[in-house]
Amino acid sequence: MPKQELDAEEQFNLALSIVGLVLRDGQHSVSELATHFGFSESTIRKAVLTIGDSEDVGNFRTHFYLDDELLEKGEVDFTQAAAELHEPPVLSQRQVAALATGLDYLASLPQFEASTELSELRLAIGGATPNGVARVSRTRELGLLTTLQQALLDGLAITCEYQNQLGERSKRTIDPLRIDFIADKHYLRGFCHKNQAIRSFRLDRMVSVEITDLAISESALTLPIPDEVFGEVSSETLVKISAQPEASEIFWNFPSVGQLSQVDDQFVGEIMVGSLKSLGRHVARYGGLVRVISPQSAVDSVRQFAESALSTPQSPGDED
Amino acid sequence: MAKQSPAQRLFTLTCCLLAAPKLGLSKQEIFNSVQAYVDSSSDAREKMFDRDKTILREMGVGLEVLDFDAYEETEASRYRISKGSFEWPAELILNSQKLQLLELAARAWNNRIMAPVAQSGLTRLKTLGVMPGSRELAIFTPRLIARHQSFDPLAKAISLQRSVSFMYRKAEGEASSRTVDPLKLRFLEGQWVLLASESGVLKNYLLRRIVSEVITLQPYESAVTGQQLASAEQELQEHVLSQTAVIQVMTDSEAWWHFSVSDAGVATMNYMDEALLAEDLMEFGSEVRVIEPASLAARVRLGFEKVVSSHA
Repeated sequence: MPKQELDAEEQFNLALSIVGLVLRDGQHSVSELATHFGFSESTIRKAVLTIGDSEDVGNFRTHFYLDDELLEKGEVDFTQAAAELHEPPVLSQRQVAALATGLDYLASLPQFEASTELSELRLAIGGATPNGVARVSRTRELGLLTTLQQALLDGLAITCEYQNQLGERSKRTIDPLRIDFIADKHYLRGFCHKNQAIRSFRLDRMVSVEITDLAISESALTLPIPDEVFGEVSSETLVKISAQPEASEIFWNFPSVGQLSQVDDQFVGEIMVGSLKSLGRHVARYGGLVRVISPQSAVDSVRQFAESALSTPQSPGDED
Repeated sequence: MAKQSPAQRLFTLTCCLLAAPKLGLSKQEIFNSVQAYVDSSSDAREKMFDRDKTILREMGVGLEVLDFDAYEETEASRYRISKGSFEWPAELILNSQKLQLLELAARAWNNRIMAPVAQSGLTRLKTLGVMPGSRELAIFTPRLIARHQSFDPLAKAISLQRSVSFMYRKAEGEASSRTVDPLKLRFLEGQWVLLASESGVLKNYLLRRIVSEVITLQPYESAVTGQQLASAEQELQEHVLSQTAVIQVMTDSEAWWHFSVSDAGVATMNYMDEALLAEDLMEFGSEVRVIEPASLAARVRLGFEKVVSSHA
């Protein structure tokens, strides 16, 4: 369990929650409480002492009888004295809002679409919010997720045909480590045998997936998985761009260099781009709200991407 | 006795108020009961008590002020905690699967305001259930990322029930000033959407189209009921279902796999906002062709034309 320092409110919240659990279920070890609540043992001890030290000094009444000897042995048990506290307070509005939004987010994932437990939870916390409407069929994505989940649970590597953002296909053997869902896309985070490194693979670019009989390597399991899911980069180009506020999210999709500056109503900054060939799609999607300033090769790449799109018929009316 | 920590002070205050008679406790009785107040100067304990009342209320503890002769809090006011704020609904039973889902929902937050709030709610809920040992959900890491500058002030304004103002620019429109009562933030189609009341009308605002700082204004009294909120969300869903686009996708291209198209290479989809859908289609360049609606096809074409002209 990592070392943690909680602020006063969270320490208070934890003490209230421990009261509820111990009064309901009886004695627990400090380590059980640490695992259950996800805090360090020293944090749990502090919270338990908060409970044990509570007293009404004006009326000489202690609130809980804490068994100090047991605590020294790593066990937590107490009984109510003058306290009328049995459980923590119900969720605050803010807590309801935060958890309900998280649950709504889970409901937008295809693997939870049919979860009865999730539907019941969403109804109990935050009320009946309608599910979002999936834009495209989730059948294929769900099939891939099921296969990857099985590989992860069995600890086996997979092989897949992967199409990168340049349209290039390659056969990969991957030790799967985790499945991330960020914004509205699934990514497999895994150790790529070809690159001998942790890589991110968008599920919608996986053409096929098969589970192998190769066990996931022990060394792969110990590798840190970076938070960001930036694409594979072998050589990078520094590209200066400007974006209107509505399109400023483009700066989040690339490693950025230095601070953004604001010129009139535009954000201006520099990003590291792995492949100029793929830059066009990232810039063109904003329909002119993002402009590449330099280098000229990046400007040309974006223009060529848009010209190529315009050269194909965009609607039935464009056809001869 | 050692000096009480702020957490010990809050805990003791809560226990004293919960054990109080129906008439509650006077401020002086509270000051005599909680060690940290006893140990503080008169000014310091008044400030401490004011801060503690705010914290308790923000944390969902129903602190009531009783004053039989005045509308406002006075020296004669008495304080108690509504027992209801500690009574969990009997039907809320959490099995291990549900707790694991809640853990996932809380862990998803990647925002400095919402992540700790979700975690503290989860801590409370863990009192009601047992933790699972299953790994099935542990392999998923959903992440709710809220990087828009407007997100934090809006989240705070919602929890404090304060009105806000900002400049909002619709797709291809001029920016206009909006003053709204923010009610709820939702994540739909990969976009953060604010549900707010503007002059009594419930409306949705995309956070990415808020193009100025969010200014927090005076508190508002919300007259919006849960049912009105639910029907506003239902209306948005019906709006999405009523908007359909049909696209033709190049066989075996990246778009082909992305949109899970039929054998004929055609995909039909619902959408919330035409401009947002156009962006998602433009990313695939020549791999995608819009069949309908015509307005979407025109929007995509115009978008590419603007890209060409701004990169000439």
